Amino acid sequence: MTTSIMGRSAGFTTGDTQTTADRARRVWEYRRILRLIVGRDLKVRYAGSALGYLWTVLEPLAMSAVYWFVFTQILHRQIGFPPFILFLVSGQLPWFWMSGSITGALNALRGESQMVRSTSVPREIWVLRVIMSRGMEYIFSLPVLALIALYYLKPPTIGILYTPVAIAMSFLLLMGMGMIVAPAAVLLPDLRSIVKVAMRVLYFLSPILYSVTDVVQKRGGMVASISSWNPIAGIMVLFRVTFFPQEMAWTYVWHAAIEVVIIFFIGLFTFKRLEASMLKEI
Amino acid sequence: MSEPIISVRDLGIRFNRGRKRKRSARELITKGRTGTPVDQFWPFRHVNFDIHRGESIGVMGRNGAGKSTLLSLLAGTLIPDEGSVTVRAGVAPLIALTGGFEGQLTARDNIRLVAGLHGMTKDEIDDAFEEIVDFAEIRPFLDTPFKHFSSGMRVRLAFSVVVRLREPILLVDEVLAVGDRRFRRKCFQRIETLLGDGQTLFLVSHSEANLRRFCERGLYLAGGELRLDASIEDVIKQYEVDNGLDNTSGDDDVEAAHDDLGDADDSGDF
Repeated sequence: MTTSIMGRSAGFTTGDTQTTADRARRVWEYRRILRLIVGRDLKVRYAGSALGYLWTVLEPLAMSAVYWFVFTQILHRQIGFPPFILFLVSGQLPWFWMSGSITGALNALRGESQMVRSTSVPREIWVLRVIMSRGMEYIFSLPVLALIALYYLKPPTIGILYTPVAIAMSFLLLMGMGMIVAPAAVLLPDLRSIVKVAMRVLYFLSPILYSVTDVVQKRGGMVASISSWNPIAGIMVLFRVTFFPQEMAWTYVWHAAIEVVIIFFIGLFTFKRLEASMLKEI
Repeated sequence: MSEPIISVRDLGIRFNRGRKRKRSARELITKGRTGTPVDQFWPFRHVNFDIHRGESIGVMGRNGAGKSTLLSLLAGTLIPDEGSVTVRAGVAPLIALTGGFEGQLTARDNIRLVAGLHGMTKDEIDDAFEEIVDFAEIRPFLDTPFKHFSSGMRVRLAFSVVVRLREPILLVDEVLAVGDRRFRRKCFQRIETLLGDGQTLFLVSHSEANLRRFCERGLYLAGGELRLDASIEDVIKQYEVDNGLDNTSGDDDVEAAHDDLGDADDSGDF
């Protein structure tokens, strides 16, 4: 590895000699470019209009309001914990990070085909960019959650310490899935519609509207043990223990922890396998 | 001599001739390499060469011989199916030039964005900004959204940014054929200056005049292999012999101008 005139590291090897460690090192070398594009994404999102910030939190809040109305005003709420709106928002915000990242990953490479074809920026950067932009939006939406908690005078518990763990696990999960979905979307143009349906199904199969304890208490048995292997369930538990300590379910958390690591490595492997064909098709 | 700046070993790449849908769907699940399906072809295989710092190389070959593919492999935007490419310095790719430019953003913002994407730091961009604007001759349109630029202006701006990257290796894919004549002459002069400063140039062109002007060494791709790696004169001669061309009459410049027009379809994606 030599440096260019400007003192940046430059140069690369493609072909039979590239290892996963090489790839990770190249991504690290391009972190400044990653910062640049994530920064631009956020600028476009927030500075585009005076209401920029509102737009990013509008959808999860609107959905929470609708579910709150249906489940407390029309039906008798038998799921989740009160205050139900806090329960809903604390699940909706991370879910919007997840679903936004996965659907965004469909376009991560396709939408940047010109860039992908003209620069040797490591292709993982384009996936990382989507997940980090959406992740920053999630972080920026947290004050809304704090405001709702303040309204209900519900102080955070010590469980707030699990939030960084939940963020790290989400990141691994989303990177793993993104590295599968992004190159696959280039090779299979019809993947988009499949993924969109899958995300909707996953939404209702995951404890976002309801709690993991609902699954255990109302169904138990087979259903509960299958649902405990949904990595999103374990991650949601960790996001929610900040305000709902009764939500803690260690089985879910351990299962999720194992799975996100496995999914991440499957993602790395898949990306490496599909990259060459993806570049020919893009 | 020192370590080569580019090393290519046993390089080969394979494309699918037909539509690929079925294959890639299977590829998601299996390891993909199940025999050699008939609808695949190799533009070239078993290509070997070394390039040293300061060399200027012209690539010749008929349409579809893999010239642009070779350039993309050197730019790192394609990955070989066989062999390896090692590039030991930064690359300024004049390929798919307008990549990274955002239609909604102004020229000013776009210069910063694209220069950044190609690896320039903020300070470097500040230093280079005026020079890029002057070279592209777009000062009156600095605050115009990029989408309102004419295609010629777009390419001029993109060329100006990439050529200002000051990377040791310059990859040029027929972009010399774009822009008006005056700007083209400016590009030629800029490339000559860069060559004088010891830059390494890789030029894909059908224009023999341009190849003679800029290149010392030639690579000739034909028949699925690197047919000849020799001086540019020998490569041009071989190319003419192979293709039944006779270059004893006629003016090079006229022919070059004709080539530039005639091969516009082969010139890439801008």
